[in-house]
Amino acid sequence: MAIWNKDKDGGVTEEKVLDVLKQVKDPDLHKDIVSLGFVRNLKIDGGNVAFDVNLTTPACPVKDQMRDEAIALVRGLAGVKDVAVNMTAEVRTTPTMDKTALKGVKNIVAVGSGKGGVGKSTVAVNLAASLAMEGTAVGLLDGDIYGPTMPIMLGIHEPPKSVNNRMIPMESAGLRFMSMGLLVKSDQPLIWRGPMAHRALQQCLFDVEWGELDYLIVDLPPGTGDIHLTLAQQVPLTGAVIVTTPQDVGLRISMKTLRMFEQTRVPILGIVENMSYYICPHCDSRDYIFGEGGGKRAAAEIGIPFLGEVPLDVAIRKQSDAGSPIVVSQPQSESAKNLREISKRIAAQVSIRSYATGPILEVE
Amino acid sequence: MALNATTPTKIKKLSPGELQILWADGHETRHLAPLLRGLCPCASCQDEMTGKRIVLPTHIPDSLEFKKIELVGQYAVHFEFSDTHHTGIYSFEYLRQLCRCPECEVSRE
Repeated sequence: MAIWNKDKDGGVTEEKVLDVLKQVKDPDLHKDIVSLGFVRNLKIDGGNVAFDVNLTTPACPVKDQMRDEAIALVRGLAGVKDVAVNMTAEVRTTPTMDKTALKGVKNIVAVGSGKGGVGKSTVAVNLAASLAMEGTAVGLLDGDIYGPTMPIMLGIHEPPKSVNNRMIPMESAGLRFMSMGLLVKSDQPLIWRGPMAHRALQQCLFDVEWGELDYLIVDLPPGTGDIHLTLAQQVPLTGAVIVTTPQDVGLRISMKTLRMFEQTRVPILGIVENMSYYICPHCDSRDYIFGEGGGKRAAAEIGIPFLGEVPLDVAIRKQSDAGSPIVVSQPQSESAKNLREISKRIAAQVSIRSYATGPILEVE
Repeated sequence: MALNATTPTKIKKLSPGELQILWADGHETRHLAPLLRGLCPCASCQDEMTGKRIVLPTHIPDSLEFKKIELVGQYAVHFEFSDTHHTGIYSFEYLRQLCRCPECEVSRE
């Protein structure tokens, strides 16, 4: 132990600093940052205190709040002159994550919906790009084998290269992505039966050189079919995000997808409500054209987190068609801000799941 | 059935033909390979529409063993047996329902 820690006249000690830091709680994990082992590299030099707070995701929604709280508490200690806090992050791995296939991938999050046309792919692309903007390594897999839209939304159409029989994912908007649309000419339909779709998804998961990823976002096709079952069976999903519109009918169908995830024990990370309200491009007024608060009510009813609302905004559509997600091209817009907040809430839910435990398998 | 009762905490192969499952509610189940094989839920062992069993435990030799055991996502277990049969996916619920311990036998009656 360093000499200054033995200061007899009540100087600043490691113990005292850690003791006050115990008052800083992670609101999602319901524990203090000291017990969680988040406080690292604590250095005390006279009245100067410096330490790192290592969170479970750089996309933590309450990062700034926790930092300010930590600084205020340590500054309140007798003898402290200056406090320097460095916020770092290390995304944890889902405990049941397979060690062999996809070994560099820490968390897989599926984005699903009950019916088509709710903007699931748009939400998925923007969430993935948001997480990448927070400094995490993100992959995006377009699981919509029959109607892939990712190449359009990310503005890339060249087929991926292969090295040693493994495909190299394409890069755009700070993320790595793979889509059936990259492998098939855009006007050519895929007329496949279930087993072919199953194989295609397997290849996109296991025969792609994803490398090290904090999050792999899988954009699912609508409904509850082969692709969903394959995904639920082949990989331990960290969880699923359900995208819905505020309309009752959209919600009711989303429930089916939700129940499917429940039956295959995939944790539901929450509901994202898309097309929540219309922002008039002329006068900026809001119109709740599909009704207000439907997603929030449904989430409360079934007891899952409500992750946020995304407006029906012509700019989202334009940017998607132009191949650049709105969170990247117009980060200051209301839509982009909402999407980035949602991505942080998802990252927080993923962190919570990483503290759960799966079954131990001893079969050899 | 409560979620705890159908959530395994540990799945262990005790011998080539015996499997131990510890559940989150503290219960312990022991399964023998021939019984699980005889009650395989796949479509070639059980009629998909009527649920009538095509393969029965009495059709399976006592010497049958597990060849491979692996998890299916987060909801089921997949077995390959020594007779090469490998198409069944046993959900955690099903594995708990099949528990043959005296306590479970009593509650079934």
